Amino acid sequence: MILSEADAQDLTKKILALSQAESCAVSLSGGENRHIRFAQNMATTNGAPGSISITVESHYGKRSGSANGSDLTDDALAALVASSENTAKLAPENPEFMPPLGPQKYGTVAGFSPVTQATTSNQLASAIQPVLQQAQAKNLQASGFLDIGTSFSSFGTSKGLFVYDQETGVLHTISARTPDGTGSGWAGTTHYDFSKLDIAGMGGVAMDKAVRSQKPVKLEPGKYTVILEPSAVSDLIGILVGEEFDQRSADEGRNFATKKGGGSRLGETMFSKSVTIFSDPADAVVPGGIYSDDGQPAVRTTWIENGVLKNLQCGRYWAQKSGRAPVPGPTTLTMIGGTTSTADMIKQTKKGLLITRFWYIREVDPQTVLLTGLTRDGVFLIENGEITRPACNFRFNESPVAMLNKVVALGPSVRAYGEESIGIPISVPTMLVDEFTLSSVSDAV
Amino acid sequence: MGGCACATLIPSTLFLGMRNAAAIEIAEKLDLPGKMRLADIALGAAKTMGASYADFRLCRYQTEYIQTKEHRLETSATGMSVGFAVRVLLDGTWGYASSPLATDDEVKRATANAIAVAKASQPLQLRKFELEDLTSYQDRWDMPMKADPFLVPVNEKIDKLLSINEAALKAGANYANATFTFVREEKFFASSVGSRIEQTRVRSMPETEVTVIDKVTGKFASRAGLAAPRGSGYDYIQGYDFLGEAAKAAEQAREKLKAKPIEPDKYDLVLDPTHLWLTIHESVGHPTELDRALGWEANFAGTTFCTPDKLGKLKYGSELMNIVADRSQEGGLSTVGYDDDGVSWIGNDGFPIIQDGIFVNYQMAIGQAQLIGKKTSNGCAFADNWDAFPIQRMPNVSLQPNPKTCSLEDLISDVKRGIYIMGNGSWSIDQQRHNFQFGGQLFYEIKNGKLGGMLRDVAYQGSTVEFWNSMDGIGDKSTYFLGGAPNCGKGQPEQTAPVSHGAVPGRFRQITVLNTERKDVT
Repeated sequence: MILSEADAQDLTKKILALSQAESCAVSLSGGENRHIRFAQNMATTNGAPGSISITVESHYGKRSGSANGSDLTDDALAALVASSENTAKLAPENPEFMPPLGPQKYGTVAGFSPVTQATTSNQLASAIQPVLQQAQAKNLQASGFLDIGTSFSSFGTSKGLFVYDQETGVLHTISARTPDGTGSGWAGTTHYDFSKLDIAGMGGVAMDKAVRSQKPVKLEPGKYTVILEPSAVSDLIGILVGEEFDQRSADEGRNFATKKGGGSRLGETMFSKSVTIFSDPADAVVPGGIYSDDGQPAVRTTWIENGVLKNLQCGRYWAQKSGRAPVPGPTTLTMIGGTTSTADMIKQTKKGLLITRFWYIREVDPQTVLLTGLTRDGVFLIENGEITRPACNFRFNESPVAMLNKVVALGPSVRAYGEESIGIPISVPTMLVDEFTLSSVSDAV
Repeated sequence: MGGCACATLIPSTLFLGMRNAAAIEIAEKLDLPGKMRLADIALGAAKTMGASYADFRLCRYQTEYIQTKEHRLETSATGMSVGFAVRVLLDGTWGYASSPLATDDEVKRATANAIAVAKASQPLQLRKFELEDLTSYQDRWDMPMKADPFLVPVNEKIDKLLSINEAALKAGANYANATFTFVREEKFFASSVGSRIEQTRVRSMPETEVTVIDKVTGKFASRAGLAAPRGSGYDYIQGYDFLGEAAKAAEQAREKLKAKPIEPDKYDLVLDPTHLWLTIHESVGHPTELDRALGWEANFAGTTFCTPDKLGKLKYGSELMNIVADRSQEGGLSTVGYDDDGVSWIGNDGFPIIQDGIFVNYQMAIGQAQLIGKKTSNGCAFADNWDAFPIQRMPNVSLQPNPKTCSLEDLISDVKRGIYIMGNGSWSIDQQRHNFQFGGQLFYEIKNGKLGGMLRDVAYQGSTVEFWNSMDGIGDKSTYFLGGAPNCGKGQPEQTAPVSHGAVPGRFRQITVLNTERKDVT
């Protein structure tokens, strides 16, 4: 369910008027989606889900409680407010409580497309049908997901803050497999504008990789020079600049940015000089939400600049306690790219692997951000500057902190999607990296 | 715990929402006659518009999430989410639509929307979906429970959580987190074959973790609690020794900082059931899902090495290996009276997946069995919310105990050089379920049949069939433990399912063990 800005503001005012707490915050969100899901070249589970969520947070001094519901009727809203107030009254004081913010200045919403909002299930089916027909004609098995949606969110406080954001989103991922089960290819990305999505092109990439990846050669595990395509890069960068990128944890001695003897490594050169990562909600390629934690405006923030750790996320309480400005979490992420094409990366690689994407990434050691996961849907052996053969899949055990110290070359930064990433729009380059640790071989295709 | 792919076990998410007064008010609006009327509207409209099958699910999820850190309450939140979905099969094509507004007009609109989605998808329907003959049920099922967590005063729960943290801090932890999440899931299911089913179940899910730091070296170590989430009431929380475990966890986390690093090699492993349940989940539960074998999850959760030609033939593991699927198991997170296709589990004690080491059954939802020459679903459908399409999800999948007497000590006594592993650390497995890597919470050296000191930086890797065939000892029923995860991910859009796994300790021979320390990241 989508509420317009005016309706969201009216509803927020209505809820705030019901509040008897010392202060109150109201979060609204909702969405309407349409999707076609397909496998074995045919439709499977297709749908049009909708949702709405109302959260009321009430405060008495340093006591807080919240209640969430999905019912917009007057009685239900009154019950919701009362419920959050009852919860707050029963809560002990939180010494780290921060009062709600007053009015803030926000940027302009950039990630909204009327084209996407107006797209129908028929249009989705029409867009994917030629791809499935092509897969059938090539004796390949295509599976995937094409999802469009419109969503809104708003945040208001009893101190006068109100912010409204409306976004559209498109997610398309497609896999193609050979009938003998020895070849598999994939393509996928996100966008806010359905008309900008090259569905036929993505289908072509997945099918081409499926054919080219058939009957892979089994290689020994070890440290390899790798070319990571954007999906693979987005997973590793998204995980690093996620929960791990926290000032308080670093100061308290419990993350990768902790300094021996105490404090954090903010300001230190921790990565290759070519590494710069920032968030900009107004970015043309990956626009993001205009507000972040507690209704703070999402602002351009540089996390890593020329290899130097510049900022870690910092909540309002910890910022106040440690004498810093708060650093809200990102609503979008960009790693600045370079000018090296993938073809040139292949040419300059004596022996290495081209990796399409990763799967099932989990953290092994938070001290070093050591991650494990697997390659999937297209690994290709590079020998003496050329792709010579498809290669088997591998398990990797690698830290993005170590990886970003071994960057050899970067391609242009592009919008990307990884299954394991942090769920915000992300733009990253293809990356040529030395000494990437592939710890064992996987028989999976 | 994204991507369990489980498809993927997903890191914990926040549940938000309202307390009892509001919940009761909403409940009164959704009495049985009201639900029946809405169902009749949906199913009648679907039939009129040509659906050969339709179902209507109206669900209400009441949630409570209380999070504490050290001496403070971080979050106290309640939630109530209500909505419905209409699913139609129109000329062999599925369509569904959902809405949070449970009104007559909205049900009509959603039904028309589901039909429109199915119609739009029909040009993509190379093969029509067909359903087996479905049985009609009129029933109500409520999960047995001694103490309703939603009737326990919130301050009592907050006090308990803070006392857990206090016990850990007193025992030397620098940081301590403790969280309770409770869910009451109420579903009303009605289908065009005449079923009208109400059911309610509750989940109680504790999570604890302590962390110790060494400022001089910049090192830190954590120890997560071993208490499993359960399909149980608050009596489960009351019966667990959280205070004792918190104190022990603080000492063990401190011990981790000084533990001996593992030398990478092949070792015999004795896996505690607090650890082995997750290995079962990833390497037995998921590979034996029929939708994966049919290629329906190829784009996300993946396929499986357990192809239909292996049914009844594949020697999955040693003869000690008996794995049973059971959605009637007490305390199980997947336990139900009826699955979300309306298939009954009443009076059903489950079915074997692995029998004496042989792969004998898949897990199935409706519309699948006939594709491999079977007659009907075995009741493994689940939708994680009112806005989701029911897909094949895991029942409680458990390793059966050794019928002969065998203790943990007995298993350890026959290991010359090995490692005993407790609890879950990191976990990952490939998309066809061959290659896996698991960490843990606690690792102890085994030398000449005796348990030794603590080890650190341990993870083991293996390939599923080879691994399970290396198992040469398992514990008896006295060693049984019911583990589980609240958040197994699968499907697109991704759904998270709660599922339990019973396990006994197992002994596995000559497994590859890694040292996970990275000395180049300092």
